[in-house]
Amino acid sequence: MSPVITMGPFHPALEEPYKIDVVCEGEHVTDASIRVGFNFRAIEWLAERKNYTADIALFEHVCGICSNVHTLCLSRAIETLAGIEVPERAQYIRVVVAEAERLHSHLLWAGIACELIGFETLFMACFGLREKIMDVLEAISGNRVNYAMNRPGGVNRDIADPGAVLAAVRAIADATSKQLIPVLTTDATVRARCAGVGVLTRADAIAYGAVGPTARASGLPQDIRASAPYEAYDRLLFEVPVRQEGDVFARVVVRALEILESCRIIEQAIEQMPAGPFRGDDYPKVPAGEVCSRIEGPRGEVFYYVASDGSDTPTRVRVRTPTFANMPTARPMVLGQTFADVPLIQASLDPCYSCTDR
Amino acid sequence: MTVVRGLISLLVFPGALFALPAGWFMMWLQRKINARAQGRIGPPFFQPFFDFVKLLAKEPVVRPRLQGFLMTVLPLAAVASTLGAIALLPVFPKAGGFSGDLVLLVSLIEVGPLCAVLGGFVSRSLYGGIGASREAVLTLAYNVPFLIALFALVASAGSFSLAGVALAAAWPVRVLALIALVACIPVKLHLNPFSAASAEQEIYAGSTTEYDGPRLALWELAHALEWVALTGLVASLAFPVADAAWPVRVVVFVAVSVALVVVLSFAAASTARLKLAQTARWFLLCGSGIALSALVVAFVRL
Repeated sequence: MSPVITMGPFHPALEEPYKIDVVCEGEHVTDASIRVGFNFRAIEWLAERKNYTADIALFEHVCGICSNVHTLCLSRAIETLAGIEVPERAQYIRVVVAEAERLHSHLLWAGIACELIGFETLFMACFGLREKIMDVLEAISGNRVNYAMNRPGGVNRDIADPGAVLAAVRAIADATSKQLIPVLTTDATVRARCAGVGVLTRADAIAYGAVGPTARASGLPQDIRASAPYEAYDRLLFEVPVRQEGDVFARVVVRALEILESCRIIEQAIEQMPAGPFRGDDYPKVPAGEVCSRIEGPRGEVFYYVASDGSDTPTRVRVRTPTFANMPTARPMVLGQTFADVPLIQASLDPCYSCTDR
Repeated sequence: MTVVRGLISLLVFPGALFALPAGWFMMWLQRKINARAQGRIGPPFFQPFFDFVKLLAKEPVVRPRLQGFLMTVLPLAAVASTLGAIALLPVFPKAGGFSGDLVLLVSLIEVGPLCAVLGGFVSRSLYGGIGASREAVLTLAYNVPFLIALFALVASAGSFSLAGVALAAAWPVRVLALIALVACIPVKLHLNPFSAASAEQEIYAGSTTEYDGPRLALWELAHALEWVALTGLVASLAFPVADAAWPVRVVVFVAVSVALVVVLSFAAASTARLKLAQTARWFLLCGSGIALSALVVAFVRL
């Protein structure tokens, strides 16, 4: 009988509580199954019992890395429902914080990917860069993880020192293009571990409904920021990096290039940002109705459905996180690979099971 | 006289009295270099020693009698054999040694990995088992270039004694053989890029996953001694200063060993971990290629 090797819910390779049962013939993986649900927190249940303002604070805690995309998506849903206009300056501030968060998330992911292939030096380099962007986020919002920036109708805080943000972002773009990307793309041992490993074909990516960088590394040029621009994205120039190979290496390259694009977006947003109000008025009563809202998180499309009966409490808030869409692609990726590749392949999805479990 | 000399080699220099602190120092140096390369401060000087003492003081997990016995004896055997290998090192090429001590040294060095393989399976942990099987595959792979390189040195020197090889091997052969030998050291010491046998992100600590307290302390001790044995083997073959006074020889031996630790540490800090099959392929193709070229040079010269 082939041994079933269990990874998780607590395992040094997994930064999230989930479990992969891998069936191995020698070092080769013949089957795999993923189990989630170790971190259920009843957030959607709680949301139906709190008012909209309290819900914003609640959904801030869906994820510890992409906390901003959840409040942004929920705020946008409430704004659509109540017909609130967001001041232009607030739109730009939202873009800056969202892109800073994407930088933070991608750098964290790059670090973990390096750690999983045993490249600790590069892991430390990535986390050093991540520290810079977390300092930026702290300077803007006062917080390093849950930024509490969004509110229906605007943002809670202004960017007081745009010059410091610009300087930090330029330093990150510089270090990424001059140090991180050359090492990631040319180092022989990194290539040996990533190239041709964990391939997700374009057809599989469509069939499994992959989103975000995982889909873009398999040749699907989908990005909500470009295809259905929200906030100030339609006024900013940026490219959507796409690779055709579909292997771990392609996902590394896509995210590395996205780091540079995010830096570019932040630079433009800071430079174009108009003066004016940013907080918005106190928002009116949310009328009865239902609405869908979606934005591009660091891991892909985040989808919110909000239903209201006209009271101050939503009757339903449904969240679909990008990891929920990407999770099933792990199986076709690991089949036929070696056991040593499993941690890296599952990490290449940039999974966030804490958001998926909620 | 030879018994006294043997005991001194085993217990004083290059044996226990020297090898224990030297092993801990090398482990500290590797961790420190690794940390500095990564922008960290790194462990304090005495950390490997503190780790050892702390592990010794822990109460071991109660295990079935036979398993507990085997899990104690195997690391002990690894410590004893590695210490024996260190005692055979020809730090003083013209003193002591006997014909054929190279064969004994190689077999003593190999007892450690063998014990680690058995120890992994004996611990009855899934991860220990995978670590052990990886260790076994890697031992087979790196021993091809390792033994060919040593055989090239023997063929060049025309002697199976360590001192003879250290003094008489031709330099072109020696350089090629030493490159092959140095490339084998990271596998034995579980260093990047050849650290698949103890890949913590995949299989925790590999074969030592289930070991705890004093039993783990013994593995740590064997590991520290392996550092001294392997770097010492290369050092004594690379710079045999036969005519100098003994303090010079000792200084050269220690300096070359430490320099090797520095090189290995930087190599480990600047690479990712290769997979098992990639590591094995590297040794069977590249490593063996270098070693075979040393062998060819040795025979052509003769």
